[in-house]
Amino acid sequence: MRVQCQILSEDEKHRVHAESLKILEQVGVKFLSQRALKIMQDNGAKVDQDAGIAKIPAEMVEQALKTAPKSFVLGGRDPARDVALPRPTTGYVLDLGGVFTRDFKTGERRYATLQDNNDAMRVFDEMELSSVVWPHSMVEGDTPNSNAIRLILHSFMNSSLHVQDEFGEPEEVPYIYEAMAAILGSEDAVKERKLYSVTYCTLAPLVHEGGMCNAYLDMIEFEAPILIYPMPCTGSTGPCSLFSNISMGNAEALSSLVLFQMAHPGTPLIFGDASGSTDFASGGFLEGSPEMVLMTAARGEMARFYGLPNTQQGCQTDAKEPGPQAVMEKLLTTMPLVLSGADLVQGPGCLETSGLLCLEQIVVDEEIGGLCNRMREGIDFDDARNLFDDIAEVGPSGHFLMQDSTLEACRSDEFYTPKLFDRHTFERWVDLGRSDTYSKARERVEEILATPQKNPLPDDVIGKLDEIMRRADEELK
Amino acid sequence: MSIEDIFQSILQLKRGEIADLVQAEIDAKTDVGAILEQGLINAMGEVGNQFSEGRLFVPEMLRAAETMKIGLEVLRPLLVEADIKPRGTVIVGTVKGDLHDIGKNLVGMMLEGAGFTVVDLGVDVDPKAFLDAAGENRAQLVAMSALLTTTMPVMADCVGRFKEANLGARLIVGGAPVNQDFAIKISADGYSSDAPGAVELAKNLVPA
Ligand code: B12
Repeated sequence: MRVQCQILSEDEKHRVHAESLKILEQVGVKFLSQRALKIMQDNGAKVDQDAGIAKIPAEMVEQALKTAPKSFVLGGRDPARDVALPRPTTGYVLDLGGVFTRDFKTGERRYATLQDNNDAMRVFDEMELSSVVWPHSMVEGDTPNSNAIRLILHSFMNSSLHVQDEFGEPEEVPYIYEAMAAILGSEDAVKERKLYSVTYCTLAPLVHEGGMCNAYLDMIEFEAPILIYPMPCTGSTGPCSLFSNISMGNAEALSSLVLFQMAHPGTPLIFGDASGSTDFASGGFLEGSPEMVLMTAARGEMARFYGLPNTQQGCQTDAKEPGPQAVMEKLLTTMPLVLSGADLVQGPGCLETSGLLCLEQIVVDEEIGGLCNRMREGIDFDDARNLFDDIAEVGPSGHFLMQDSTLEACRSDEFYTPKLFDRHTFERWVDLGRSDTYSKARERVEEILATPQKNPLPDDVIGKLDEIMRRADEELK
Repeated sequence: MSIEDIFQSILQLKRGEIADLVQAEIDAKTDVGAILEQGLINAMGEVGNQFSEGRLFVPEMLRAAETMKIGLEVLRPLLVEADIKPRGTVIVGTVKGDLHDIGKNLVGMMLEGAGFTVVDLGVDVDPKAFLDAAGENRAQLVAMSALLTTTMPVMADCVGRFKEANLGARLIVGGAPVNQDFAIKISADGYSSDAPGAVELAKNLVPA
């Protein structure tokens, strides 16, 4: 059977759900957007206008759970890389939320550039488990108001995957949709293919932003999928127990679900979580801790409890540079998610608590994902895998290296072939230059960036995207 | 009873005891300046050191600061009488468009602990509000926090306006995406990557 790890018992899931409802009904959620508050009120929430707080009854949550789609497809720019949710195996989301890049040549930590974004897209595109990309964050540039558009359009140019972004300003929307129409060849296809989705973070504890929330309500008719992504940090912006932080994060997610379903029933939502734990020595937000992944994995189970597609934060580290801490934390924060059946894990590519892009880490993280996904597949007990006949044929003593079944299986999925690990003898390893995981990953990055992009957009489409960016620069000055 | 007990009550987070301890020293006619400096402020200095070294955790640091404040409240009327001024006034806030406040709060608490009067403007603070608050409170220092690339430019805007208004307040900046180079580029007076560093900066920029 497939290996299945369980973080919450059935009873515990019901308790988390009950606590969430209690929080929504008794404490309520604050909306800094008047529009959102009105939607909540019109649909049955008890609203305190002065405080901006809506107390949400259980019936509204039930109603929202009914209209939220249980499955949909995140379109890839290349249809071969569409991501149908829910997924039978875990896929990975390139985490470029950060601001800094570890320079590939010098190792220096510096502000990110557009080129870093494009290089990361190129590298991630070649990884087998890649599903979705988040564009990088640029500090300035000559055209700060059109930065976000530039990053998204360049992500489409350099990646064949679905693009997901933290949506900034409503003014950006028309440019992004025009670009997708150019890529897809028609405006109608934009809604249909869903090449782009957005991330919606609630402000822990229990607050919905104003401007950001309005912007999401503005674009809801485009039916872009929304990743609901609470980030309560147990011990600072969240209560200091995993149980209650999970319940509060779940309540925040349910309140977002209610808002978007009431605003536009049928809006595709991904029920995600990016909880953190507090580094009590500094107050810092930790993403590489065991507590972090216990919480995001539990919230993933809650998503499946509701039958909703999910993305969970994982494959994360608080290490400042590539090395043992990064690998240990990333493995630790990936495995439970994969074994409990998360659809998507957001994290690959970053170090320093989602703050620092590192190109070679993308390749190392692919290996971590591969190992975890292999573990998830478990032991195959299909009759075809019962090799009694071989045992009988070889008999006591002898070996199995010459069997047909061995020849067939040696390249099958049952036996994972690592790309970065060294399994040579000591002498061979020395002869081969004493390679380590990261040096092999660096070679792979160099190789990818030295070869032409495999699946570029046609020149005329690139021309159109360039034109859109030029216009955005002008018009959004 | 001694000033040492006041010092210790802060380090041992004894929120319930400090008011009585301070009152006892006042009743014993101990110099109020000494109670403030050697009792309250030195204790927070030690708290700051232990925190910087990672020996004290944030919730403990915050409880120590709270304890110190309770003591300070008891002392305050006498400080006014004795004309002992606080170390200086600092305006803190997270800039316009930005709602991250965990780091900003830590910085504010630590500055308060170091004896500064802190006026916290909260989050999403526009440059004009910083300017007005600095003027109204005759602040010596303005500490701005930004956690988003999109809100970092607001800091530059703020620095520009302060220079224009010529208020004399010094400006320090911080937050995860900010670094020393950025601070220099926008002509801020200082940057630090953490809260204890912010206190160091404040002490250097606003000499006692
Ligand atoms: C927690 C968190 C949140 C919480 C904030 C809760 C709160 N009440 O503050 C929530 C969930 C609400 C949130 C929301 C968002 N967030 Co956020 N968030 C974080 C996170 C994970 C940790 C921040 C934190 O609290 N750190 C702990 C504190 C103690 O550290 P600190 O703030 O850096 O402060 C220390 C120092 O910097 C310094 N310091 C701070 N201020 C000052 C000031 C001075 C003067 C000095 C000297 C020093 C100083 O001292 C502090 C103590 O040591 C960061 C990632 C990260 N690792 O930084 C992302 C991050 C900052 N967020 C990010 C984003 C994108 C968002 C959202 C836009 C997401 C969305 N789509 O909704 C929204 C924006 C909301 C808004 N308008 O502000 C991005 C920013 C990327 C970018 N392009 O800039 C980050 C980097 C995460 C990522 N990689 O994607 N976020």
